Amino acid sequence: MSEFNQSSVNRAKRHLVIMAVLGLGVVPLMYFIGLMPIETVNMLGRYLCFAIVAVGLDLIWGYTGILSMCQALFFTVGAYGMGMYMAHQYPSADNPLIPQSLYVVYPYDIGQGKGEEILPWFWWPFKYFPLAVFFSILVPCLMAALVGLGGFFSRVRGVYFAILTQAITVAAFLFFSNNDMFLCGTNGLSQFRTFLGFDLGDDKLKLIMYLMTALSLLGVVGLCQFVVHSRFGRILVAVRDAEPALRFQGYKPHHFKMIAFAFAGAIAGLGGMLYTPQMQIITPSNMAPIESILIVVWVAVGGRGTLTGAVIGALFVNLIYSWLTSPISIGSVRIWSPDFWPILLGLLFIAVVLVIPTGVVNMKMPAIGRKKEVEA
Amino acid sequence: MLFLSLRVPADDAAIQSHIQTLASRKSSERAVAFDALVATGDARLVPFFDAYRIGSIYLRDGVPFIGGDVITDNNLDQFVSLTHVLTGETMLNEQGEPELVSLLELENLSPNRKERIKVRSVSMLLNLSSPDNETRLNAAKKAGMAPLKTEAIPILSELAEGDASKKIRHTAAESLALLELGTSDDADLRMDAIRRLGELDSLRALSLLENMLEKDETLTPKQTAIVLTARKHIMTHQQKVKFFDNFKFGLSTGSIYILMALGLAIIYGLMGVINMAHGEMMMIGAYTTFVLQKVFGHGPETPQNHFFLVALPASFLVAALVGWVIERLVVRKLYHRPFESLLATVGVSFILIQVVRLIFGDNQSSNSPTWLVGGFEVANDMTLSFNRVFIFFLTMAAVTGVMVLMRYTTFGLKVRATMQHREMAASVGIHTRRMYSMTFMLGSGLAGLAGCALTTVSGITPDMGQNYIVDSFLIVVIGGVGELVGVVCSGLGMGIILQSLENSFFSPVWAKIIILTMVVAFIQFRPAGLFPPKGRLADV
Repeated sequence: MSEFNQSSVNRAKRHLVIMAVLGLGVVPLMYFIGLMPIETVNMLGRYLCFAIVAVGLDLIWGYTGILSMCQALFFTVGAYGMGMYMAHQYPSADNPLIPQSLYVVYPYDIGQGKGEEILPWFWWPFKYFPLAVFFSILVPCLMAALVGLGGFFSRVRGVYFAILTQAITVAAFLFFSNNDMFLCGTNGLSQFRTFLGFDLGDDKLKLIMYLMTALSLLGVVGLCQFVVHSRFGRILVAVRDAEPALRFQGYKPHHFKMIAFAFAGAIAGLGGMLYTPQMQIITPSNMAPIESILIVVWVAVGGRGTLTGAVIGALFVNLIYSWLTSPISIGSVRIWSPDFWPILLGLLFIAVVLVIPTGVVNMKMPAIGRKKEVEA
Repeated sequence: MLFLSLRVPADDAAIQSHIQTLASRKSSERAVAFDALVATGDARLVPFFDAYRIGSIYLRDGVPFIGGDVITDNNLDQFVSLTHVLTGETMLNEQGEPELVSLLELENLSPNRKERIKVRSVSMLLNLSSPDNETRLNAAKKAGMAPLKTEAIPILSELAEGDASKKIRHTAAESLALLELGTSDDADLRMDAIRRLGELDSLRALSLLENMLEKDETLTPKQTAIVLTARKHIMTHQQKVKFFDNFKFGLSTGSIYILMALGLAIIYGLMGVINMAHGEMMMIGAYTTFVLQKVFGHGPETPQNHFFLVALPASFLVAALVGWVIERLVVRKLYHRPFESLLATVGVSFILIQVVRLIFGDNQSSNSPTWLVGGFEVANDMTLSFNRVFIFFLTMAAVTGVMVLMRYTTFGLKVRATMQHREMAASVGIHTRRMYSMTFMLGSGLAGLAGCALTTVSGITPDMGQNYIVDSFLIVVIGGVGELVGVVCSGLGMGIILQSLENSFFSPVWAKIIILTMVVAFIQFRPAGLFPPKGRLADV
């Protein structure tokens, strides 16, 4: 594979620089000269969060050959972590210990009487910003490690693992939608006022969050590029292409798989954590099974095993989404209705597999990992 | 109180004369006639008393009629349509329409105060002596519910002793005990009622007894002991009923799972395709049934039961046809590429769901054929509903059919050969592509059949398949791909375990999580499923 020669490293660096110029230079510039409204910057910021998750998935799917259908779960768990911190910023008028958010589902019933409620234990760490950041990344990471432990150590492979992760997503979705979990059920966390001292409606906060997200994305892409070009990355590719051969050489593939999977979980948590202040609401629908499959499609559209492709795919699909989920008319003739979007999305899924199996980034390359799947 | 203790049947002429007496002004005469009417125990009089209560009984030349709504014309003259009290026939004019008779030609009967009070319980009492088993059973059940009416005691004890139907005897005895418990002041009588309720396994009494134990402070220790014994007896029965229900629901849910998983397993086993649109094949089967139901005009009022006989094969065929189209357009290029086929079929499922949603809208309710409504009672409080039994037998028939097809037909032989070694099968002249195509159609058709069966127990929505797809895959994972028996075992097991967990102290969420943990744990020990392939197949 071409991933390890010098030209590939140079290309990776080039991509990183282009991304930095576009993300940290062009977009803010357009905002300052008035070509781009703050809402667009905010929207791009949210899509960059998605791009972060997609990069994580690309690492485990494109390079390691593990198809995960629960990245949205890790993303949403990270987002809930930051959401809990933000909810703490707006305590209830009756009891300064309890966030107003918690009353969404249980008005005056989370503890004993009014004013005597008890904060659920797992809400405590999220009162403090550094702890909230720490746990928003650590919890998804540990969850991913646990999933990996259950799956990889018993040699659940290929599509079986994908099915398993989807089942886990369904279970977690039900879990978070449950009203008794002190996570506000299907309503999600939404009663936010301020973040880091800024009012949430503040344009400055939106710009700062955008820049933070762009920087994080660059960091994640850089880190992943470093990983895939390291010896560790070689082993990941070996896991993808010839797991039995790797095992015969004395390696333990499941260890590497679990580490990579946990790492991708942490990246997803980071993306989610950055997402909440920009979206200002987080609900269990963000982890619905379809969301995880969407992330897979972003990576597939961009081109798996390229990292840059994951970013491009996530942005591309989401920009189309935001464009096509509003009605479009020419004159008085309605030519597009949002109802058609799922059909178009379905066609995109099929097209990605049948027409551009290598993704838009790398259309000439043969499909990566196909050999492996024939064997599986 | 005693007016019903003797049942005095009367002929039509006597009933008519009693009703005529109700027009009298003397209340003593009226009371005698009223009681005599009630004493006939004639169920035909139920509508009469209902109408009498609201004052719409009319005498026309001495013949009693039930009047319809009063219609007022432009001259403020009032008219009413008439239905004969005993024959139930509506009076018609020459054109065959209901005849409207002026109120001036009629004599209106209206109840006095005493009768108005009595008449309320009369229809219940008459229902209790109805010749129709169903009516009698419902009335017996109602007699034990609030508002409690002591008038029912004599006839209830009569039913509890001597009714021909065992079920009615049981219900009457239960209601009788409930009535006595609720209305009697005599403590001994009440304790006796509680003892009998315990022996009768009365589920209806359970909350009542628990309430007594909690709130009633006048209970002596001996009485408390009686209540506790009765409660324990009933709770044991309740456990049994719960177990039975879980088993019953689990069996039917499991059957649906089997129909779904069977198709998934043979499709994945043969062509290495993960078909995420399989749930939508089921949805298509359900909508085919729905459309046929509309075409035949089947409904609760207009049963056209034969629609279902058409719907069963039609749902199979339509789903198989859609499966064929999908196979041709998408899946054909993705044999033995599970990841790609997974993604592409997710896309297919999006398209199918949205197209169906745009055509039919979101939720539709369906009516199953009337012969699948209801059930037969296996034991007290345990009813086996026909639709669930039907689903189970349909599945067993389908499984047997597939097994016979795979084992004893040339088609099955060719499919198994292709599954074991595609190139070798092709080289001995088997058209493997056709085998793939036909297997895909078979799998889709089975899912369509599952959809048709599902309409008898639940409503239909465009995304109904999504609820089943993940669980069905888990069943394939547990059951293994090669062996159909594995799928049947894991499907039934999954259905029953899931149902039992959901209805015990776990909520559905925890049930799902527990099932998942069990699946993961199971895979640790048997990575290749319940019945792992042996020999050369194990390496594939």
